[in-house]
Amino acid sequence: MTRYEKGALAAVVLMLVAAGFIFLYAPTDALQGPVQRIFYLHVSSAIAAYGCFAVVLIGGVAYLWKENVAADRLARAGALVGLVFTTVTLVMGMIWAKPIWGTYWTWDARLTSTLVLWIIYAGYLMIRRLADPGRQAARFAAVVGIFGFIDVPVVHFSVTWWRTVHPGPVVINDALPPQMLIAFFVTMACTLFLAAVMIGIRYRIEVLTDQAAERVVPATIVAPTEAGSAR
Amino acid sequence: MRSVAVALAVARKDLTSEWRTRELVPALAQFVVLALVIANFGFQIDSRNAPAIAPGVLWMALVFAGLVAFGRAFAAEREQSSLEALLMTPASPAAIFAGKALAAALLLVLCEAVLLPALALFFSVPLSFDVVSAVLLATVGMAVLGCLFAAMVARVRARELLLPLLTLPLWIPFIVFGGQAVQAAMGGGGGTGNTSGLLIDLDILFVVLTSLVARFVLDD
Repeated sequence: MTRYEKGALAAVVLMLVAAGFIFLYAPTDALQGPVQRIFYLHVSSAIAAYGCFAVVLIGGVAYLWKENVAADRLARAGALVGLVFTTVTLVMGMIWAKPIWGTYWTWDARLTSTLVLWIIYAGYLMIRRLADPGRQAARFAAVVGIFGFIDVPVVHFSVTWWRTVHPGPVVINDALPPQMLIAFFVTMACTLFLAAVMIGIRYRIEVLTDQAAERVVPATIVAPTEAGSAR
Repeated sequence: MRSVAVALAVARKDLTSEWRTRELVPALAQFVVLALVIANFGFQIDSRNAPAIAPGVLWMALVFAGLVAFGRAFAAEREQSSLEALLMTPASPAAIFAGKALAAALLLVLCEAVLLPALALFFSVPLSFDVVSAVLLATVGMAVLGCLFAAMVARVRARELLLPLLTLPLWIPFIVFGGQAVQAAMGGGGGTGNTSGLLIDLDILFVVLTSLVARFVLDD
């Protein structure tokens, strides 16, 4: 069993533990009923997405500063994993919104800014694919990652800056009963661990992709001479 | 001081070449008037709904005209490979970038000089100082961001595809606050707080950030 398989296994076990806390330990919400249990993973994956995009920001700045390829790979991994967690946040939020607000989507400040966040990092992955691989793609992506991160505090503070239907921060405002709070922190810790494992695995894939790309170039130069010497 | 001179020289070069060909501004002017015509058919404009719809039409037309204008800012340089020559001079990349952005912004302002009166005429909405100032303040930040990404996509495959994808999400703050200001000025509600101040803050933020990263985008 490799390091990565162990990490993945641990993440799966921890997510099951979190599911146990969400469905067995946490009490059912008096007003909203069972659908409120979406809260734990919805908020946790939003926080995980913030963390991933912070990795993209730090990786991008480090790359522009020192031209460190490892920093760029970390940023690449962070963007993809962050996009996955943003998708989870949006989809779970929509499922939650339907019974509570009566609609899957409303043009609320927090929903809109989260959607914009998704689009920004989808653009980040697009420029990675379309720019020349290597220095150019890394530099351009770093710039997009730095500008894109501006939207993270906008998403976070959108509920206090604008009038929204989306609830404000309930955790730091101490608006939850202790059992819900414990279930939330357990889920958040497990989700953050999952995000870290995903970034680690993705980082390894990026290393292997880079190595494969480096190997292709000499192979095409070497192959004809080998064929020539064999003849 | 030298950087300012470089920026002004680059801007003058771009404006001179636009003046000699007279391609972009007439095309953009035609484009924004066409956008108003299409909005008329899309929304069935009459005297009652015009003030509510006009701000949206204004920003839609402006955003897409801006994408075309900033996309063109680096097109001529790319076609003639003259950007490399510009960068080989001792001038700083940030100054060259500032010049390009300044010229592109001025061309967009010329386009706005057609769009705003046309909007006032066809939609019979008032053209107040608040509307003009909100549009001009948004133009500064939009030009800086638009040119940054235009410089980036000029060297990338499928550039026409990528420029809106990267630029539009970051323009949204200007459309939010600019839109609020214009809605308030046209009597359509909204407009909470000091939108001009927020637009100026955004302009400063993006000008500073862009001047820090411009060399990574231009230099190769």
